[in-house]
Amino acid sequence: MKLSGYHRPTTLDEAKRILKELGPSGLPMAGATSHSFLKGDEEKVAVDLAWMGYDRIDHGPDSFTIGANTRIADLQSYHAPGWVLDRVALRFVSQPIRNMTTIGGNIARVFPWNDFPVALLALGAVMTITGQDVQTHTADVYFKGQPARLYEPGDLLVEIKVPAVKSGCGFAYHKENVVNMDFSLLTLAAWIRLDKRTVADIRIAAGAGVPLPCRLPGLENALAGVAISTDAIKQAIASTLDSVKWKGGDGFSDDYIRALAQAHLEDVIIDAWQMAKGGAT
Amino acid sequence: MSNIMTIQLTLNGRKQSVTVDVKTKLIDILRQLGCYSVKMGCSEGACGSCAVNLNGRVVNSCLTYAVQADGGIVDTVESVGSLDNPHPIQAALVEEGAVQCGYCMPGMIMAAKALFDINPTPTDEEMAIHLDGQLCRCTGYEKIQTALRKVAAAGKGGVA
Amino acid sequence: MKKNFTVVNKSVKKIDSLSLATGKPMFVADFKPADALIVKMLWSPHAHARITSIDTSEADKMPGVHIILHHGNVPRIAHTTAGQGFPEPSPYDTFMFDNKVRHVGDRVAAVAAETAEQAIEALKKIKVTYEVLPAVLSIEEALKPGAPVIHDEPEAHIPIPVPYEPARNLAARVAMDVGDLEAGLREADVAMDHEYYTDYAQHCPIEPHVSMAHLAADGRVIITTSTQVPFHVRRIVAQTLDIPVRKIRVIKPRIGGGFGVKQEVLLEDVVALMAMRTGRPVFWKYTREEEFVSSRTRHPEKMRVRTGVKKDGTITAVGLDCITNTGAYGSHALTVVCNSGSKILPLYRTPNIHFVGESCYTNLPVGGAYRGYGATQSSFAIDCQMDEMAEAIGMDSLEFRRKNAIRTGETSPVFRALGEGKAGVEQSIGSCELDKCIKLGAKEIGWKKRGRWQDKKGRFRRGIGMAALMQGSSIPEIDMGAASLKINDDGSFNLLMGATDLGTGSDTVLAQIAAETLGCDMDKIIVYSSDTDMTPFDVGAYASSTTYLSGMAVKNVAEKVARQMIEVASAMMECPGKEIKLADNKAVSADGRSVTFSEIALRALYGTDQFQIGAVSSRISHKSPPPFSAHFTEVEVDTLTGRVRVLRYVAAVDCGTAINPKLAEGQTEGGVLNGISYALTEKYLFSPKGKMLNAGFQHYKIYSMRDKPVIKTILVPSYEKTGPYGAKSVSEICINGPLPAIANAIYNAVGVRLRTSPFTAENVLKAMQAN
Repeated sequence: MKLSGYHRPTTLDEAKRILKELGPSGLPMAGATSHSFLKGDEEKVAVDLAWMGYDRIDHGPDSFTIGANTRIADLQSYHAPGWVLDRVALRFVSQPIRNMTTIGGNIARVFPWNDFPVALLALGAVMTITGQDVQTHTADVYFKGQPARLYEPGDLLVEIKVPAVKSGCGFAYHKENVVNMDFSLLTLAAWIRLDKRTVADIRIAAGAGVPLPCRLPGLENALAGVAISTDAIKQAIASTLDSVKWKGGDGFSDDYIRALAQAHLEDVIIDAWQMAKGGAT
Repeated sequence: MSNIMTIQLTLNGRKQSVTVDVKTKLIDILRQLGCYSVKMGCSEGACGSCAVNLNGRVVNSCLTYAVQADGGIVDTVESVGSLDNPHPIQAALVEEGAVQCGYCMPGMIMAAKALFDINPTPTDEEMAIHLDGQLCRCTGYEKIQTALRKVAAAGKGGVA
Repeated sequence: MKKNFTVVNKSVKKIDSLSLATGKPMFVADFKPADALIVKMLWSPHAHARITSIDTSEADKMPGVHIILHHGNVPRIAHTTAGQGFPEPSPYDTFMFDNKVRHVGDRVAAVAAETAEQAIEALKKIKVTYEVLPAVLSIEEALKPGAPVIHDEPEAHIPIPVPYEPARNLAARVAMDVGDLEAGLREADVAMDHEYYTDYAQHCPIEPHVSMAHLAADGRVIITTSTQVPFHVRRIVAQTLDIPVRKIRVIKPRIGGGFGVKQEVLLEDVVALMAMRTGRPVFWKYTREEEFVSSRTRHPEKMRVRTGVKKDGTITAVGLDCITNTGAYGSHALTVVCNSGSKILPLYRTPNIHFVGESCYTNLPVGGAYRGYGATQSSFAIDCQMDEMAEAIGMDSLEFRRKNAIRTGETSPVFRALGEGKAGVEQSIGSCELDKCIKLGAKEIGWKKRGRWQDKKGRFRRGIGMAALMQGSSIPEIDMGAASLKINDDGSFNLLMGATDLGTGSDTVLAQIAAETLGCDMDKIIVYSSDTDMTPFDVGAYASSTTYLSGMAVKNVAEKVARQMIEVASAMMECPGKEIKLADNKAVSADGRSVTFSEIALRALYGTDQFQIGAVSSRISHKSPPPFSAHFTEVEVDTLTGRVRVLRYVAAVDCGTAINPKLAEGQTEGGVLNGISYALTEKYLFSPKGKMLNAGFQHYKIYSMRDKPVIKTILVPSYEKTGPYGAKSVSEICINGPLPAIANAIYNAVGVRLRTSPFTAENVLKAMQAN
């Protein structure tokens, strides 16, 4: 990629208009940490989104609304009851990158090793895209394929709405990598709602180790309505593990990632369960 | 639409106006302006030797486009203490023998300063999290941690 | 034996540290002239190929391009890039550019243009046709009869009389036998025979290789370069370009880490020739990817260890057969594998010793000098097997090491048998506190509480392991270091040294030795080092030689200068010289009168019988006293995933007198952490065609502060009489411990012996499943 121009819209409408005019040559700049890695000789005109706002976290009664231009570091330092994305942010690359990357940038283009899509899938987040009109997509729809398919030139992700993790609910996030800074081998997130000891609702998502971040419906179904216990979790994992094609990388085999998934799915579900019980978070 | 832009920086406390090609990275402008402390170690945002503070936050200047810093406050280690009057972070690193080849030091110090400026008494864990983008191959980080613990204990990290 | 030091054995501030911490321009790139041409290299995309044609006609016309070099327009002179003494114990198998490429990332053609972008654009226009040859991608393939010959050029030879058989891809061979291995094994109650393998790794200096050259007014070429060996750079560039040494000046400013990889002449020939041909300053800096692919690496090594032990713990035999993979060129091939024997076999006493070291060519990245230098690899094999033998006879492995390790006053036949490219030098151990290192380290880690792996339960299991280590200090009868010293009006001194500080603090350590000897404050010593026009010769920073060898040169020269000062002071105070002592920046007579160093200088420079107080001195070493170390670590293994976490690490080290304790600790801690990531996470991944797949910090995994365990260094002083103020070396030994200590700790945790590094989670899990 060769940058041949630069725009700096100060309002959402201006950003949409410029991107629409540029068409395929327009390149939204949302932190830009990945731009240096875009290959090829294609000329692109950057539209820097950092100047138009949408960089706040608003705390509603049951959810948080995150502006797409919010930096990962701001997710890391934000604290409120029911807010769990700080844990995800803390495992994101490195502090300089957390200071530069925005959540919108991280989820506008999805890589296998992405961090946030996994957490957002488990949390049941909702993405708002503004263009000609306003579209909202659940994480399940949004991450079904490359999000680019949802965007026309001029469309922009503006907000991510993340439900607060309420009492009786639990969330856990595990990222397995070799050193702290590097790409994930396997990322797992689980959200759980308990009715006494029964799993009333559960969402489990995986990233890295799978072709693209996704939910694990087989495992979820195996646990839904079940009286939770370590044995029940183990059993559900064992019976559904091979419904997912686990994928290695960075010198690790597919088989190994499967073993890693088996161990850490248990960890992540138990951690979410403990949080739901009001235990350790 | 031109690919040339004039940007304003407050670089180490001095207002500067620089004309840049939009594809220029911040590191190249900073070195051009004489901030040789900003080091190129990997060009991929992984080693942190190019780290500078942009509006008080540590960033990799090898990934940042110069135009992204327009209107911003950019600080490099050139503005952090001097031979006669080192910043407490610098003094502690020197005192503890934490500076070996020193190539990572400017970035390390800027990352530490960004932390101490907002949190003068960070814990070990907070330091490790905040400095996780700064690679050093000489020291094993042991002496760097010792030095920063001393700064934290004195609670003077944010005071130049 | 002097023990009441005033400057030595004190943690004085590293003299360049504040300048570095305040970001002063001190590195090669900081001196790049604005009009410098920028070099970019076209690298081979093939592991093994003949270049059938190169057409640069289009590239020559590209904007900004000033010169393009390739095999058709440069001198063809066989040389080695290994920055070693002359004649080098490495084969002359390298050409500035060749009509054959031998690994992915080998040189094809270099462009210098006004800007980096222009140079990169021009590279794309160079048309090269290759005849792709079958590639050799492993040690096993390299040594098969009928394997493709990597160095089939007639010029390939080694300039010293040692075995070299490029026709069968053998870059080096060395062997020794003492006693009778087989007889020793027969005599044993327990005999063992295992294979070990250590893999590629890169030094990862945070500053990649960088060099620049410009022409002085008199036409000489000035090379400013990030090197550990400025004098060898001068000699090898002269040889490669076929110009006299006197035409070249090499300057080493501060350098951003070396660890051995900058003991190599990789960029200097190109920038020098381009500067000579264009008249322009020329600048070349490797990218991180180039640093991984086209600089140097740690030689992968396959080791077979045969050992025998009696029930009482007596070691009856040790046999070590090593083969390293030197990659496409034989840089350090002989000496690295030789050190696999010479730096570890003397450690454990036994009458029957067998050693064979071989090195083979492959079409993979090139091996080179890397901190530890062959001892890192063999320490792993030998020390793991010691652990296993102790267990087999039911002896605590710590006691087993204490029983068998070499002690003060003892010698080993290995010292005499194995030198570097020639016979070694007999020596007896003058200082050894290994036993104390073991005791103190064991106490710190809590050795007694380590338990047996058989008794450990649960998913996460902890284990404690140890390793005993030795290295050397300089290469005896080969290395030479020199220094000169002169006094200034104010009683300060210029200390000029060939010694090369690569970030280790040697300028500081050597200044401390000078100040101690002269009786002056540290700030009176003005150090200037590593400039071939200005400073005396030194072989450079390698082989753990600087403190020990260059330190003795500095002590010598300071003693010479001290004698001259005493003579002047004697005349000034009219008292006999032998009654005068130098201390506290003064010459003090027996009756308490004194003259300051400044007064002495002023008298010598401006008074009567004026002369320059000053001297030059050089030293060679007649022995290579080993530093010793005992490493201990506690790890935790996740039995479900195989992931190993190092929880704590203790390194107790006997480096003689630590001239600067904090810097000695820093050497240890840096080496240990590098060793830990080498043991656990660092790995070269290759495509089936020999291309490195993970050439960047995003996929080649080294530790940040957030990944590190607590590392505790315990300095255990001894006094090495042949060293400056009792000092031995400290820089290399520390990197050798993590591989064996962690492997032994993993065994103590989960009962598996890992014989292949790195111990990635997958390798550990597989080993547990196979158990």
